[in-house]
Amino acid sequence: MFEKMIDDSMSKSPWIFHINAGSCNGCDIELVSVLTPRYDAERLGFRLTGTPRQADIVVVSGPITVQTRDRLVRTLAQVPDPKCVVSLGSCPCSGNVFKGSYAIDGPLEKWTHVDVSVGGCTPKPEAIIAALAKATEILKEKRKEMRK
Amino acid sequence: MLPYLKQAVKNLFSKPSTEAFPAGDPPKAAEGYRGRISYDPNKCLNCGMCLRVCAPQCMERTIEKLENGDQKITFSFDMTSCTFCAMCADFCTTKAIKLTDDYMIVGTKPEDFIVSASFVKKAPPPKPQFTPEQIAAMKAKAEAAKKAKEAAAAAAAAAAKEG
Repeated sequence: MFEKMIDDSMSKSPWIFHINAGSCNGCDIELVSVLTPRYDAERLGFRLTGTPRQADIVVVSGPITVQTRDRLVRTLAQVPDPKCVVSLGSCPCSGNVFKGSYAIDGPLEKWTHVDVSVGGCTPKPEAIIAALAKATEILKEKRKEMRK
Repeated sequence: MLPYLKQAVKNLFSKPSTEAFPAGDPPKAAEGYRGRISYDPNKCLNCGMCLRVCAPQCMERTIEKLENGDQKITFSFDMTSCTFCAMCADFCTTKAIKLTDDYMIVGTKPEDFIVSASFVKKAPPPKPQFTPEQIAAMKAKAEAAKKAKEAAAAAAAAAAKEG
């Protein structure tokens, strides 16, 4: 009984953890602007959290640099299941202009399963909100499957 | 104090500045916004300028040879690789590449981000094949025409001298 209640309440409030894997700060600023009064994702239950152990959705921005790679993998391992990985912007998907650099060890798909990707350099906040909404749906399904 | 109070009262009766987006339609992007690429294969010349100027190398061109000698040329643009700098659109001489104001580039599969289109480049018509006799006949004809022209020019010059 309580399990269903907890699941319902958790699906209404997915907490976001943001990993900067060598981003230029453009996508990071846009992600923060999603939480400002203008776009206000907090009314939908999204909330930035400071620790990966409390996160439901992990948002990764930036091409995976060699310096951040190990930290990224370690941080992703700390996120409890079910988790949803969102890649923000063009960089984690392909490497963008840094493609082929010796300092890049991407794409993100190489290190973890990416559930939702957002294109754009940088994406508009509305696109980020749409991606987070999609991630919430995927998360709900994953949770349902986990309870089986 | 008064201006603040005025604003406070005004805010009570005005619409909230928060966008209602996930509930309704997404708002329109600003004028000149550079979003998802649109590519018109019928205008494309296959000059390859876009491939040269693209910094993140987000586009790919595949040339496929068809049986009748034509070429099927496919351009595909990867929206997860694009920086939306619009250099390709600027350099496109026929304006086949344009950046639309569609910013909803969200998906779960890689196919969601590919803008692709192809066109068929016709092969040049085959060279006509002539027998040696035909070539000789054509040469003789050309020689005769040249001689007639020279004779006419000489006659005209003589007439001008007399006149």
